[in-house]
Amino acid sequence: KAMCSGKLQTGLLVAGYFVYLLVGAAVFQVLERTTEKQEKMAAAQMKEAFLQNFTHLTVAEMEQFMKNLTEAIQNGVYPVGNESQIEDSSWDFSNSFFFAGTVVSTIGYGTLRPKTAGGQIFCVFFALFGIPLNIVFLHRVSKMLSLLCKKLGKFLHEKGMRKKKIKVLTLLFFLATGILVFLCLPSVFFQITEGWSYSEGIYFAFITLSTIGFGDYVVGKQPGRNYFSYYRMLVAIWILFGLAWIALLFNL
Amino acid sequence: SAYMGYVGLGAGVLQALERPAEVRAAQHLLQQHWELLANHTCLRGPALQRLVEGIVQAYKSGITLQGNTTSLGRWDFSGSFFFSISAVTTIGYGNLSPSTVAGRIFCILFALFGIPLNLVLLNEIGQLMLLGVQRCARRLEEVFHWQKKASLLIKTCALVTGLLLFLLLPPLLFSDKEGWSYEEGFYYSFITLSTIGFGDYVIGMNPDRTYPGWYKNVISLWILFGMAWLALVIKLCINFLE
Repeated sequence: KAMCSGKLQTGLLVAGYFVYLLVGAAVFQVLERTTEKQEKMAAAQMKEAFLQNFTHLTVAEMEQFMKNLTEAIQNGVYPVGNESQIEDSSWDFSNSFFFAGTVVSTIGYGTLRPKTAGGQIFCVFFALFGIPLNIVFLHRVSKMLSLLCKKLGKFLHEKGMRKKKIKVLTLLFFLATGILVFLCLPSVFFQITEGWSYSEGIYFAFITLSTIGFGDYVVGKQPGRNYFSYYRMLVAIWILFGLAWIALLFNL
Repeated sequence: SAYMGYVGLGAGVLQALERPAEVRAAQHLLQQHWELLANHTCLRGPALQRLVEGIVQAYKSGITLQGNTTSLGRWDFSGSFFFSISAVTTIGYGNLSPSTVAGRIFCILFALFGIPLNLVLLNEIGQLMLLGVQRCARRLEEVFHWQKKASLLIKTCALVTGLLLFLLLPPLLFSDKEGWSYEEGFYYSFITLSTIGFGDYVIGMNPDRTYPGWYKNVISLWILFGMAWLALVIKLCINFLE
């Protein structure tokens, strides 16, 4: 009988999962469709306007140029500005380090990614060993954080509070301070350093710490902004502790 | 400290591998840029500049300006469903991402509940897989009286089957349907199943190709079971490490 109910549970879980995905899909579609249409029209208009101003450009030449440009952009080469930006590499050591970090944490923004076959194969094996290493590492860091939690619990216990109340209180405290330190404060920080709005900062923080990592927002990539030298390192530390906090939350 | 060293090592290697290709791409583009200007001397720098910026902007919003065809698989139902999967599994390709404020808020809430749900499901599937393997081992032991050897044999068999099914055979399918090389298909498979999900390769996004109706659904199932399998393998690896 226990087996039967176990199978039923699994079945319900699977069904619930797919229903959840379907509902989400429908909602996203409704929310995003109209904006997408508008953006498409605006882009097409821009293209038209440009062609009209330079009528001797054949459509074929234009298409070819667009194609080449799109390919370059897909490869992360943004040809904005006159100076050759060949000197400024996307693959300097600081950026490569950040990239390696996004691989082992499985965030995977994708704004920077290996294009050579060698780079791709190396990336696979690097991740194969790096991801378990990362998990073990986060485990250790979250143990450190949980020690703080236990100290707080002990302190409250000495003050004479009941065990159950202590548990709830420490959980809430941990949750609240975590949200403040890892979500709210960084968003304010990003407002200053990246020029994003507060809600964009929260969106970025959430997408990063959940390791979803769409890559629509990435730190240190705004053209024309000066970032102080340890900026990316600071952000990397934030990501590290934020992930450990989330890992700990799951264990509590 | 081993962790930092490992990440640093990876960074160094990737830099060495990728830099030359990047330099070539940049040079190639600049060459075209100047060629276009040279052929049409009436094209003023700033106007072209603005066009290029506009194209870059559009690209970042996920819009490509090629030809008259509307790009495929954006926020239609199939695209939205695939997006939901990429959010809930934390793969997060990013080739499609919400641009409206409402869409983003919904995305956060959706992921907040969806990710734990996904983890629970993956755990369940992983446990079922493990159970199946253990049962097979036990039955082999009973039938052939192999004792310890059977367990090791079955586990290796299971690992190899999983490897074939989830990592080594799918690239062949991708080769056929997407036109990627085998190496690219393998790279895509691993990056997807590990939930890294760069988004440089995404299935079903090529406007020049037609995909059969069952394609995206089969891939979704592959992602689900493949992730469960890979998560199980990594968990066993970690238990071994610790």
